[in-house]
Amino acid sequence: MSAPAVLARRAMARVGLYVFVGLVLVFFALPLVWLVTTPFARTPSYRVPAPSFTLHNFRILWDNPYAVRSIGNSLVLAGGTAVLAVVFAGTAAYALSRVRLPGRDAVLYAVLLLSSIVTGTAAMVPIFLMLFQLDLIDNRLALVLVLTGGLLPSAMFILKDFMDTVPRSYEESARVFGASPFQILRHVVAPVVRPGLATIAVWAVVQVWGNFLLPYILLHDPAKQPAAVIMYTFYDEGGQPNFALISTFSLLYSVPVVLCYLVVNRRYGFRFQGGIKG
Amino acid sequence: MAGIGLSGVTKTYPGGVTAVDGLDLTVHDGEFFALLGPSGCGKTTLLRTIAGLEQASAGTVSIGDRDVTRLAPGQRDVAMVFQDYALFPHMTVLDNIAYPLRVKRIPRAARHDRAREVGAGLDLADLMARRPAELSGGQQQRVALARAVVAHPKAFLFDEPLSNLDARLRLSARTFLKRLQRDLGITTVFVTHDQAEALAMADRIAVMDAGRIRQVGTPREVFGRPATSFVAHFIGSTPMNLLDATVTGGRLTLAAGTLPCPADLPDDTRVTVGIRPEYLTYSKDPVEDALAGTVGIVEHLGSSSLVTLETDGAAPVGVVVEEGAEPEPGTRGWAVPRPGRVLLYRAGGGDLLA
Repeated sequence: MSAPAVLARRAMARVGLYVFVGLVLVFFALPLVWLVTTPFARTPSYRVPAPSFTLHNFRILWDNPYAVRSIGNSLVLAGGTAVLAVVFAGTAAYALSRVRLPGRDAVLYAVLLLSSIVTGTAAMVPIFLMLFQLDLIDNRLALVLVLTGGLLPSAMFILKDFMDTVPRSYEESARVFGASPFQILRHVVAPVVRPGLATIAVWAVVQVWGNFLLPYILLHDPAKQPAAVIMYTFYDEGGQPNFALISTFSLLYSVPVVLCYLVVNRRYGFRFQGGIKG
Repeated sequence: MAGIGLSGVTKTYPGGVTAVDGLDLTVHDGEFFALLGPSGCGKTTLLRTIAGLEQASAGTVSIGDRDVTRLAPGQRDVAMVFQDYALFPHMTVLDNIAYPLRVKRIPRAARHDRAREVGAGLDLADLMARRPAELSGGQQQRVALARAVVAHPKAFLFDEPLSNLDARLRLSARTFLKRLQRDLGITTVFVTHDQAEALAMADRIAVMDAGRIRQVGTPREVFGRPATSFVAHFIGSTPMNLLDATVTGGRLTLAAGTLPCPADLPDDTRVTVGIRPEYLTYSKDPVEDALAGTVGIVEHLGSSSLVTLETDGAAPVGVVVEEGAEPEPGTRGWAVPRPGRVLLYRAGGGDLLA
């Protein structure tokens, strides 16, 4: 084959590749484009709208009695769960990392394995029955505790790895200066594993934010339900989706999680400054 | 300020390893004391037992006139500098130095003033806003020392304080550390595996092996009259010659010659003769009461050289020779011990006989 022919073939192959990649990109980008543009469209529907601009859809959203409040509910549930998960998993992981227990690793793996059942679909009925008997249905604190319980094993597992990387000499140094275990945890260990704690917090928020089943089963009062559950109610009597509501609500729904990630990444940065000479 | 007393201290780890074995030791008030020994000899465990980071399995530890055996580390009023310095990576130099005062709940302004004062004394004034990762090894060490000084303890405990510095810096840090200790006058125990470091810095040295103390003494005593052949072998930058010998008619018979016996021992006593290469004089002509051999290796040490005399079938003899007087390898040579410098040990790794 002559040299120009080879070049032409290569050019064609490259063009073909780019076209293919372009199509794949469009396929994956379309939902995002829909999410960003539809809330501002005059006639929202399944389709990505033709360029037009209105804030009317947000008016509809604002007038809905549950929509905005549900975002607040989601923030309370996610925030509460994140705080509890970080505090409990952090202290547990610190203890597990520092105290020698026979069969410690086996226990940790067993808990991790069982955790997928605790908040998984399999345990829904017993959890519901238990909370029902305790008269804790429609109680947000109870839901936060159930959600936290489901996240703790994985959180402990991840944080224990972080705790293991903290050199013991940091703690021993503080101990010799007279720091109590709680002071050591607060002054030394927690700041050093801060990236790990931030990771767990963001992860907990995201988990709770997207959780539908648990809040759906355990909260019956629409005034207490979080965004993920409320979204399910945005259909009219005929079962047709209300696109004005759904599109604006979807946008509003995704903003806090993105913000949360950005803030955490900026403030805590997922980095580790070494203080050990080696 | 206070001395440190250990009596019958034993540390057995779960699993049965005895790191420190029934050890008695007194460190005087204001003394700079070295715990010296090869790795695994229990010296770090002993230091951690004094600090309270390890609980003694038996025996008592006292600091000043207080029995601290059952006290938590924070109640013992000691400050420890770790081998890796253990500076808190998320705190500035200032906060690191001020940390012991923060634990004592001293108000922020007061503790920062005190930390700045101590930091300035250790030449850290310009580094106060930095984090440990932005400091050199020598600077990190000074921060760790400043943090210990600020605590104003009864005693300092240093775990291998110089081992993370490069060779050149180590020498200046040695001088610096010794001056700091003398100026503060605080009782200091430091752990090292480097005999040169111990000899250079310490007022007294305890040489440890296998969880026990083999000898306690001033650097001069430990270097000049090692109590056992283990200590003799361990101390000194050129290893001591340890040669098998038998006593015959008031003389020592070695593979490389005969020497007058410095002690009155019965015939046929088997001993180990210890002579430092520095205490042997080289001669290229045959002389009386000398060890003979063939010059093997010549190692340059700077202002002198270490000449190894090969003897047939027996351990070679090292001799330190002045610069410029080195013999040619392959020639015959004789090594004459200086009077009073021949030490005798019981054969088979034993104690000093004379």
